[in-house]
Amino acid sequence: MNRPVWLACILLACAAAALGQVDSEALANSQQDDESWLMYGRNYSAWRYSPLDQIDTGNVGQIAPAWIFQTAESGKFQTTPLVRDGVMYVTGPSNHAWALDLKTGRELWHYSEPVPDDLTLCCGKPNRGFAILGNLLFKVNMQATLVALDATTGDVVWEVESADYRKGYSNTVAPLVVNGMVVVGIAGAEFGTRDFIDAYDAETGERRWRFWTVPGPGEPGNETWGGDSWKRGGASTWITGSYDPELNLIYWGTGNPGPDLDGAPRPGDNLYSDSMLALDADTGELRWHFQFTPHDVHDWDSVADPVLIDVEIDGQPRKALVHANRNGHFYALDRTSGEYLFARAYTEVNWADGMTSAGRPILIPGREPTDEGTLTCPGMGGGHNWHATSYSPQTGLYYFNSGDGCQIYHGATQDFVEGEFYLGSAMENVTGEPREGSILAVDPGTGDRRWRFPLVSPPTSGMLSTGGGLLFAGTLEGYFVALDAADGRLLWRLQTGGPVRAPAITYRFEGRQYVATAAGSAIIAFALPR
Amino acid sequence: MRWRVLTLLVSLAVGAAGQELERSPFHGDETSIGVGKASFRLRCSACHGIHAEGGKGPPLNRGEFAAGNRDVDIYRVIARGVPGTEMPAYGTRNTEENIWRIVAFLRTFEAVGDERVDGNAERGEAIFWGTGGCGGCHKVGRRGASYGPDLTRIGRSRSVQHLREALLDPGKDLPAGYFVVKVVTRDGRTVSGIGSGIDDFSAQLRDASGRLHSFLREDVESIEREFTSLMPSYGESLSDQQQRDLLVYMQALRGEESR
Repeated sequence: MNRPVWLACILLACAAAALGQVDSEALANSQQDDESWLMYGRNYSAWRYSPLDQIDTGNVGQIAPAWIFQTAESGKFQTTPLVRDGVMYVTGPSNHAWALDLKTGRELWHYSEPVPDDLTLCCGKPNRGFAILGNLLFKVNMQATLVALDATTGDVVWEVESADYRKGYSNTVAPLVVNGMVVVGIAGAEFGTRDFIDAYDAETGERRWRFWTVPGPGEPGNETWGGDSWKRGGASTWITGSYDPELNLIYWGTGNPGPDLDGAPRPGDNLYSDSMLALDADTGELRWHFQFTPHDVHDWDSVADPVLIDVEIDGQPRKALVHANRNGHFYALDRTSGEYLFARAYTEVNWADGMTSAGRPILIPGREPTDEGTLTCPGMGGGHNWHATSYSPQTGLYYFNSGDGCQIYHGATQDFVEGEFYLGSAMENVTGEPREGSILAVDPGTGDRRWRFPLVSPPTSGMLSTGGGLLFAGTLEGYFVALDAADGRLLWRLQTGGPVRAPAITYRFEGRQYVATAAGSAIIAFALPR
Repeated sequence: MRWRVLTLLVSLAVGAAGQELERSPFHGDETSIGVGKASFRLRCSACHGIHAEGGKGPPLNRGEFAAGNRDVDIYRVIARGVPGTEMPAYGTRNTEENIWRIVAFLRTFEAVGDERVDGNAERGEAIFWGTGGCGGCHKVGRRGASYGPDLTRIGRSRSVQHLREALLDPGKDLPAGYFVVKVVTRDGRTVSGIGSGIDDFSAQLRDASGRLHSFLREDVESIEREFTSLMPSYGESLSDQQQRDLLVYMQALRGEESR
């Protein structure tokens, strides 16, 4: 290499570093980067904990909005913004996204892509966030596509279709970048799709591997589906997983089998629905699985955060994976092997009387949906549904929300029609019994509840814990709150004017700590007064 | 593959407005009816009942429909909604094919006719504004009070069974947004009324005089939400004939008085 070319390469490398481009090392060390928020769960272990402590239990009462960005778009804002190098990257509903100036909240660019008129959806048009690598941002669109955007301009660099939306597929998940690949899940189980987890080359968009969450003929687990019911087996993967670089394993939860409430067409355990999967990050091969709710007939997706912590359980140090399941139980698994460690009910449960030593629920008879209806707790939404959770190494506690209450489950046999709802009936609320909620703090080594903050409505927001001893969360009625992470005491609140459906993030910019969240259809960044 | 053929027929015949067909192309098709039933339970059962028996919305299992008994009439109501009632338009949330499947499901119920009530609307009106005292809480058109739900169009949106239930057991199925808030202040006073809002930190309510009260939880002893009705039962205070007269009057409230 001659001297000018060599020099140019050095300059380019310096320029890339100066621009703060995100490489694999930066992602692996994201927990130590106070000035950025680089992935959905903040670190590969999905802790959503920042050691930042400028805002703490003593001064949080003084924080106020530093800026507010009004998106002027409607729909559910469930995004986890990313932050790096002075810019915030935010996704919104209906295929919108923005880049915002961290200093002022002013828009730098706006990306949008129309949602097809004939796209059928179960649950609105939310999106849960970007992933980032180099100068590329990755997001899914509602019509089951994955796009890479130039972080500087918002221009599309490549776009791939993961699945045909006309068959009932859609997508809302925040991607996860691992080893130069963009890993994404898919949604569609309410329409009798057969679902998967995909990994795409971050530079080209070429698919590197796919793991079908419902095994096909000849594959282990296919025998857990009667007849050809596996073809419509669901097991969506609509919430971001986690990653252990040391084990090179990706952990990802799966959703309900299809049809949701009618088990008759699909006799058997219906693997790998309602399961936690551990996949080899390089090949997508299954290393282990654990099924939380075999043969689910209550729509208890198991997609919620798989959080990786090293913790003592029964006197033994464990590399654990903890997970609050929609079926009403908090679980701890050994993440090296998938071994069941324990489960504890965290809300009212009337369908299982504990677990076997292997973690299989001991069923209470008569809780299956019927035509006339069966009262079962928790209700269809859980328990803990999907909202982002947080683990604070400072308090040693794990934080998640819970919907509390029961529902009446109605079942009915229904033939499959491609692209149409394949639910096997529906739920109804119990008259005079409003569904409420909780923010819970649990000891991850025992499942013991340390405190509960009651909510008058089912929860909507995720969690953020910080080194300032704080837990940030929001409510359906529009409050954004700071609780004492140690005991759940309310320390600060603000009525934002719109439902808080997203988890908050935090970062340091020009020496100040900010806490930012989506509320209503706005993004608000809070800080202490200058 | 049968449904594919039917879908094609729909696509050809319906057009963008979905109004060209008189009859659901899925009429009598068991598979489509099953899908229509599933969609009904997902989208419609919260108001019309899990078995289409009615609730906050009118019953749809009697083979007769307020907006007309042709398939296309039912289609139009689902797609466009009913202005002035809680019935929203589902045309933007469902494909045309799926709405036709719901229509096919609803046409599986045999016509049994709506329940006829032996009463007199004029006498019912007199009870409403007189001895019954209903106008002290409810509005019809511009007359009456706004403490309880507006009944201007109640005959369009509630079945006679639901109206009777509301008259005899008002707390059994409360209208959306109606609940009672009971506040005990630090000095021991109790303030209760219809809740305008409640959250984890505050509550707003209107008392029987219509006055607004707003409380922060930190300033009071307790705030409780009760899913009961402040309306008394009329099972004892009105005779059977008076109840029937009142029902017939309310059945006739279809919005014309709102001028």
